Amino acid sequence: MIKGKCWVADDYVMSYNMILQEYWTAPIDPEENSKWVMAGVDEAFNKENGFKDQGYTFIVAAHNFAGGGKSIEHVVAGLMGAGIKAVFADSFARLQFRNAINYGLPFVTCKDIVKGFETGDELSYDPATGAIENVTKGTEFNSVPAAPFVADVGAAGGLMNFVRDKIAKGEPIG
Amino acid sequence: MGMTITEKIMAKQSGRDSVKPGELVWVDIESVMTMDYLGKTCFDKFKSLGKTEVFNKDKVICVSDHLIPPPNQKFANMLNEWREVVKENDITHFYDLGRQGIAHQIMVEQGHVLPGTVSIGTDSHANTYGAVGAVGNAVGVTDAAVAMATGKAWFRVPDSVKFHITGEWQPWIMGKDLSLHIMGMMHWNGHLIYKTLEYTGPAIASLDMAGRMTLCNMTVDLGAKNGIIAPDKTTAAYLDGVAKGEWEMIASDDDAKYEAVYEIDVTNLGPTVAKPDKLDDTVPVEELVGTKFNKAFVGTCTNGRLEDIEIMAKILKDKQVHRDVNMMLVPASQTVYLEALRKGYLETLIMAGVAIDTPSCAACAGIHTGVAGDGDIVLSAGNRNMKGRMGSKNAQIYLTSPAVVAASAVKGEITDPRTFAA
Ligand code: SF4
Repeated sequence: MIKGKCWVADDYVMSYNMILQEYWTAPIDPEENSKWVMAGVDEAFNKENGFKDQGYTFIVAAHNFAGGGKSIEHVVAGLMGAGIKAVFADSFARLQFRNAINYGLPFVTCKDIVKGFETGDELSYDPATGAIENVTKGTEFNSVPAAPFVADVGAAGGLMNFVRDKIAKGEPIG
Repeated sequence: MGMTITEKIMAKQSGRDSVKPGELVWVDIESVMTMDYLGKTCFDKFKSLGKTEVFNKDKVICVSDHLIPPPNQKFANMLNEWREVVKENDITHFYDLGRQGIAHQIMVEQGHVLPGTVSIGTDSHANTYGAVGAVGNAVGVTDAAVAMATGKAWFRVPDSVKFHITGEWQPWIMGKDLSLHIMGMMHWNGHLIYKTLEYTGPAIASLDMAGRMTLCNMTVDLGAKNGIIAPDKTTAAYLDGVAKGEWEMIASDDDAKYEAVYEIDVTNLGPTVAKPDKLDDTVPVEELVGTKFNKAFVGTCTNGRLEDIEIMAKILKDKQVHRDVNMMLVPASQTVYLEALRKGYLETLIMAGVAIDTPSCAACAGIHTGVAGDGDIVLSAGNRNMKGRMGSKNAQIYLTSPAVVAASAVKGEITDPRTFAA
């Protein structure tokens, strides 16, 4: 069970605003990337550790979270470095959805979840069952628990560890 | 039940008889592309997996495109590290400065992508590979590192959506106009998220490879997983003597299942322009005629090909770029550059007052030559126009076809190319 407070986002939180152009060529590193993650999404986050210092554990968003067609992994690494443990949204852009699976950060599709959530609400999330509870509002939501492959990658701590382990054991990956 | 071309490819490459949308499969990868600013990270990650050699030295394709030639010391240092790591890994195909091109152009033009296979690249526009009937997909460095080590990548089989394109292409109308038209119709990153888009029909059969590449290229901006055009005579002629391996014709079954089918007739399609900031805010050129701009740009993985340069040369022959406009052409690769030179297009363009730069991504992503400054209004044949994309957040970017850019450059304001004799 994961507990913490959430930040509620709008539609179309774009990857290129989550990580601004000047950081695209920086190394992928959760600690580094988290310093300026979300800098272009909201003026309030546009300072060093602006987003991270808010202490959010979850993001609740609407449509096309992390869209805009950028494949850079700084986006997911930055969120993880900032302490985000899961993102719930109506829909996700495919490139970052893929990166999230590969890094073991749950991107959970959950229709209409954004309605009735406010920034700062306390949530609890059980990845095994998919149950999401808004403790502040006293409401509950269901999401689909991760597919077996996704759960395995998550349990291994990401695709790199998953594949490294298979290679070390001489097992086929698929 | 029948399968779509994408389903067939995913089944074949994962060693199955059939696959269904939603299934997760590990597929064999034909080629893995990585480029200058992410490549070093790919190789570092690959190494950390416990392998010393990539799965196939002929199938990991390395390209310098975003940072070359280095405009500053930071990029020069990054490029040096990149060259070092490519050398260490003894990669066969390295397209570095002097043999360079935009990675997606190189992958198709040099035959590293084969019909009926899956190739991936660490850049969003890897969807371009669908033009030759391959599944082309953009991935992050993690997936690329895993594929370098194992020759495999995981995929969720996408639902397919068909665009059946009919009618006759009119003079000066290009694949880009269709691409932008579809963008306006379906919305930027809208209903097509995660889908595979299949373009078929007589107007696709009559479209050249450059136009097909433009169409598939921009499917990523529609939010799609990939765009694909089944191989045909045009594909075979293009790949003749170029393909780095054997391939076979492949097509969707007649009874394949599509989530949706859209019909578009290109006979009435006119030149189309996306207005600044939003890719799907597209309008017929007529609505913008007379709009002033000061920078014109043709290039990128969307529109930097020989056919694009040819159409510019036709329009700009014996004409002059307006004195208030700075116009730049950046061919998509050295091969394109050389061909354009041999055919005399470059001479025509230089005489008209167009500046030509060595192949690279140039100003497209706002990190290299020709970036936009405050107050600039850019008419570009590229693929993205959000605030700050080409440099300053205070610049405006209109996206359109090379024909519209060329015609407008003569007048110094947005102009309908159909006012020029075809
Ligand atoms: S030309 Fe532009 S869109 Fe294409 S790969 Fe380069 S930066 Fe990306």
